[in-house]
Amino acid sequence: MKQFYFFLLASSMLAGLAACTDDTVAPEDNWVYAPTPYQLQVPAHFPILEIPEDNPTTEEGVWLGRMLYYDPITHADSAKSCATCHVQEHSFTSDPTVIPHINLGWSKNFLWNGKLQNGLEDAMLFEVSEFFKTDLSRLEQHPDYPRYFYEAFGERTITYELAAKALAQFERTMISANSKYDRVLYGDQTEFFTDAELNGWEIFFTEKGDCFHCHGGILFTDNDFHNNALDTEPDDGLMAITGNPLDKGRFKTPTLRNIALTGPYMHDGRYETLEEVIDFYSEGLKRSDTVDPLMKSVHLGGKHLTEQEKSDLLAFLLTLTDSTYITNKNLASPF
Amino acid sequence: MRTVQRYLPLFLFLLVLGLFSSSCKKEDSKPAFQLSFEHEVAGQDLVMFTQWYDCAAGHKFQVHRLKYYLSNFNFQKLDGTTFQTGLVQYIDLEDPSTLSLLLQEVPEGEYTGMSFIIGLDEFTNVNGGLPNTITNINMEWPLPGDQGYHYMKFEGRYDSLGMGSIKNFNLHTGATGGNQNYVQVQLQFDNSINVNSGTWNIHLMMDLNEWLQNPHVYDFETFGPMIMANQDAQQILKENGADVFSVKAIEKE
Ligand code: HEC
Ligand code: HEC
Repeated sequence: MKQFYFFLLASSMLAGLAACTDDTVAPEDNWVYAPTPYQLQVPAHFPILEIPEDNPTTEEGVWLGRMLYYDPITHADSAKSCATCHVQEHSFTSDPTVIPHINLGWSKNFLWNGKLQNGLEDAMLFEVSEFFKTDLSRLEQHPDYPRYFYEAFGERTITYELAAKALAQFERTMISANSKYDRVLYGDQTEFFTDAELNGWEIFFTEKGDCFHCHGGILFTDNDFHNNALDTEPDDGLMAITGNPLDKGRFKTPTLRNIALTGPYMHDGRYETLEEVIDFYSEGLKRSDTVDPLMKSVHLGGKHLTEQEKSDLLAFLLTLTDSTYITNKNLASPF
Repeated sequence: MRTVQRYLPLFLFLLVLGLFSSSCKKEDSKPAFQLSFEHEVAGQDLVMFTQWYDCAAGHKFQVHRLKYYLSNFNFQKLDGTTFQTGLVQYIDLEDPSTLSLLLQEVPEGEYTGMSFIIGLDEFTNVNGGLPNTITNINMEWPLPGDQGYHYMKFEGRYDSLGMGSIKNFNLHTGATGGNQNYVQVQLQFDNSINVNSGTWNIHLMMDLNEWLQNPHVYDFETFGPMIMANQDAQQILKENGADVFSVKAIEKE
């Protein structure tokens, strides 16, 4: 009897071992699944970056994500890659309505109307499975991709979920934290604001200009939705997703980091320049039912800034440009 | 095979005993307080966005947003000792997960009342005083010269004297110009509670209308929508805030 149990125990242990080895070395060839943890460079003055337990950031995963981002193979008929519209030198945007990719690791809501709200992996799943309709069989037949997927995830079957995980890992490395603003406030105190920038900073971070309640914090977005009084008959915005009339005209607050690189502005790209945007907040506000209470001077049509205040505010906005981000080789095309 | 059959019942018995005794442990554990944060306006249920309410200054107002911190919870016992917790509770009406707080390991005793702060004390209300989460960052109070966080964002709109002129209001409270401005709240329980086991649900009710009256009438028109650096407005809200909370009910689960 006892022997029988020992036999059972031993054979199940063997089976377990076999399963283990199966995970690390595929028998037919010498692919190795031994991912190296990726050291994300999150600056101390940035918020905690939450990473889902089932998708730790690894060198292999980030590499695969970067390949998928730049390779038109990700698109159903190879018409474009993500980088066709999300162009690095413009902080990963291009034409009017494309949302830049910058610090998306901290984002909770994606797309102007918040269509995707279940995390970065889920947003990427939408991009590959619905927007790009990636043809997985072409990835499977590719000479390299099956190995990249194996090295990143230890899986032999390529799925939308894995492609999304890899893209999410790459997106988490797209951290921009080296603007003049960061260096002045959190650097080694060798750089300083000009008088105009300092004045603009005060306008931005006090109720004078009052931009910070929505575009505040170190990410320069509150990750929320607001109607910022663009129109008397606002576009649907979040209402398109929730069906709630109270959400009409509420759009995702865009980050103002790298804002000088990402025009034209607003969800429909209606403003060509930052000067026009500032004029809008100063005297162009329009009333509608769902205007956010934080648009404190909507009853006056705007903040009515002086020309000097406007140009100081603009000077401040220009300190949010991080030129190292748009030249960062680790984020550039691997081809 | 026989041996297996013979020992199986014993084995099962031991297994069940093990499970049972581990679940029994709960009974010995210390009592808990489950605080729930509820909101009304002048005794009426709070309906956000659409409902108009009257305030003492004569305006009609709607509530569109309410986010605030409570901290320094302190529970008082009949014997003069207290149970304190350093937890800071962030409350956002649009996020139901923030509307309750479970305090475990409550010491046994006869409890007569509780106190807490609306906002943050001077030790926590400094830049970086709270963990660097997106939520806390969104509550920052970045005015040059001040520091810390918004204690409360109570936002909405009002119809000036009910005449159809609609404006926004933003009761943003916090420390400014060296004034801490947090609100100390003391609540006596109607009857003291003898806490020796189980979970006690303490329902705390905030009446939003009380921010606008008692002892001072707060008039949106007087102060306008921008009050962060306006100590006169902050002072009124601080004094009005002392009685915005009441204990609505206490029950044992
Ligand atoms: C044809 C141009 C185009 C291509 C190609 C493209 N995008 Fe976009 N992307 C957009 C536009 C336009 C938006 C904003 C759309 C909206 O909000 O409705 C956007 C928004 C996004 C967002 C939301 C960002 C945010 O902060 O809300 C993500 C994430 C994103 N794209 C990822 C990708 C990925 C990954 C790929 C490649 C698989 C890709 N995009 C390819 C045009 C493009
Ligand atoms: C009530 C919240 C709120 C306030 C206050 C606010 N904004 Fe905005 N801002 C938004 C939202 C939401 C959008 C996107 C609106 C849209 O596209 O429909 C936006 C868009 C912008 C854009 C265009 C960004 C892009 O990528 O297209 C700029 C620039 C901008 N705001 C600057 C400012 C400045 C400067 C201030 C202060 C004077 C300010 N905002 C105050 C919410 C706000």
